[in-house]
Amino acid sequence: MAQTQLAILLTSAALVIIGLYAAIFIDNIIKKIIGISFIEEGVNLFIVAIGYKAGGVVPILMPGMDTSWFASNAAYPLPFGLVLTSIVIGASTLAVMLALVMVLYKRYGTLSTKVMLADTSKQEEYDE
Amino acid sequence: MLEFVLCFIIILSAILALVQKDLLKAAILTGFCGGAMAVLFHILLAPDVALTQAIVETAIVPVFIALAVKKTQRSDG
Amino acid sequence: MNELIPLMVIVPLMAALLISAFSKFNRITKIFAFVVALCLPLIPILSNYGLHYFGGYEPMLDNVTGVMFHPAITYSFTFLQQVFIGAVGLLTFLVIFIYLTKYKEVSGPYLFLLFLGTAAVTAMILTDDIFHMFVFFEILALAQVGIVAASSIDYSYEMALKYMILGSIGSPMMLLGIGFLLALTGSVNITDIASAVHMGLIDATSPVFLLSLALIFFGWLYASGLPPFHTIKSGIYSKAEPHGAALLQSFTVMAMISIVLIMFRIYSSLPIFEVLIVFFSILAMILGVSLALTQTDFRRMIGFLAVGELGFIGLGIGLGTNFSLTAGLFQALNEILITALLFIGFGAIVNATNEVDTRKLGGLLAYHPKVSIMLLIGGLAMAGVPPLNGFQSKLMLVQASLSCGFPELSILAIMVSIATFVVFVKTYYTIFLKPKPNDLELENRDVPRSMVLVMGILLIIIVILGIFPDMVTNGISSFVGGIL
Repeated sequence: MAQTQLAILLTSAALVIIGLYAAIFIDNIIKKIIGISFIEEGVNLFIVAIGYKAGGVVPILMPGMDTSWFASNAAYPLPFGLVLTSIVIGASTLAVMLALVMVLYKRYGTLSTKVMLADTSKQEEYDE
Repeated sequence: MLEFVLCFIIILSAILALVQKDLLKAAILTGFCGGAMAVLFHILLAPDVALTQAIVETAIVPVFIALAVKKTQRSDG
Repeated sequence: MNELIPLMVIVPLMAALLISAFSKFNRITKIFAFVVALCLPLIPILSNYGLHYFGGYEPMLDNVTGVMFHPAITYSFTFLQQVFIGAVGLLTFLVIFIYLTKYKEVSGPYLFLLFLGTAAVTAMILTDDIFHMFVFFEILALAQVGIVAASSIDYSYEMALKYMILGSIGSPMMLLGIGFLLALTGSVNITDIASAVHMGLIDATSPVFLLSLALIFFGWLYASGLPPFHTIKSGIYSKAEPHGAALLQSFTVMAMISIVLIMFRIYSSLPIFEVLIVFFSILAMILGVSLALTQTDFRRMIGFLAVGELGFIGLGIGLGTNFSLTAGLFQALNEILITALLFIGFGAIVNATNEVDTRKLGGLLAYHPKVSIMLLIGGLAMAGVPPLNGFQSKLMLVQASLSCGFPELSILAIMVSIATFVVFVKTYYTIFLKPKPNDLELENRDVPRSMVLVMGILLIIIVILGIFPDMVTNGISSFVGGIL
């Protein structure tokens, strides 16, 4: 089933590219943040695909399984453990960013990045 | 066969989420993307990751985004 | 006492959580924060060198290939870690001391962020596990954003959000690089990855390996604020409270050296790795100093100078010999102390005048003589004037690049040092020596005594390190011999 793995790697690459495009070029800050969450999801999918073994079994040793058969057929569980952590980190980062956006929306009344963020340098010039 | 359909759903909902004018719809489509990915994780022999993904990316993240949209503005532009 | 090694991370982490939970009780929070902050520099001094395996999983020998592999998350504690954790612990203590004496009502969340950042950088430099490093890298980014957003300076939220957006592009890239390494070697332990690379188990010229280098390198550039991230890095320094900025720059330096040492252990067989580091370091040196020259906000000026100094550290590490690595790491230690002194000193000036524009300031020498003299010595140390510690490390760097056969680099390093001197003296002149402008209102506010005390302590350490550099360099040199 090499096709499965290839399709999944292509999907994760597509997600990372879509996310990067959104994070760099889209003006709306909420969509930028959605794009960033797509980058994270793409990377997670890639790391899970590393641990996948075509035709293997879930890496949980049930009673009655032969240990050596299990060792040669189970998927590699280390990447799965990493992705668990990474999903939670992604969600918390997203929450902090959305909180900052909500504070800034009160000040500017718009979600446009050009108004909200590029203003900093200009304001400093006015101050001088 | 299911995995190819899921891959297609993930990419389609990601693109649709970014071209929506209505940000609430974008939030819901983000949840679609995460949910399809949770099923995909199950196919990839990672049921523990699939559970976490199902809770975090299909429930918590869209709700966060929807709350932020409710506190700010709904339309893009 | 090897049991103390994990405590270096656990104590600030637990303190952070407890303080934010019980921040209602002002007095108890103050006493507790002070005691914990006092513990931070003491734990690394009392602890013995050694390794700590979490869960007690000792390294195992693979009978088929004859390779040792490490199943546990490992913390390794040597002289290098002791010096740097001690320095950051001391700085955290001093910063929390300033914060506690400056405000009557302390904010629990702010102390939480300070402790969280310290715990994160401590874990980053101790760990021998690349994913563990990544997790604390993310925690550090969140703590930095929080410290910036918590300050009362205008436009700090905007700067925090900008830094965060860049960070959330940079850190998934780094995770992707770690994923490539995991796919190649099947391990996240750095010792295992490095031995697999050096024994030729993976092809060092394969595109996947090079791509993983590029992605982790991108994350490193973001963490250390080298170009193209120098503007945002100096921006967040100028938007944080002065004591917060003093701590933020030490976090930056710690994150920089811990990630670069990890990369050095894995990728040192690739010649392009050293070229990349030297290239970005030179870019940082030149851009940092030349942008500092054009600034009128002196907090921003110090921010750019700090970025320029980071280039010296990178230069030492990029040259790749024992002597140059020692020089680079010694420079890192010096920069943590000197830049902290400068941020706190200029913060005292902001405190006393409420003005950050150098053109509107002048003649402060008569009003704040102690601060001005200590700032002058700190600036001279940064520019590399004997007998201060900046001179010792920069001299070592110049000698290292000469002995590697790159006289151009040593000339460049000397020129950047001179330019740093010029920038600093120019700013110093306009703030302290130039006649006082008529419209400058000094509201007769004193500099807080705690700030002067902290500057004095840092200054003593700077002078001692300048006179006896062997105390630190011998130990660092033997550490470097271990990883080369």
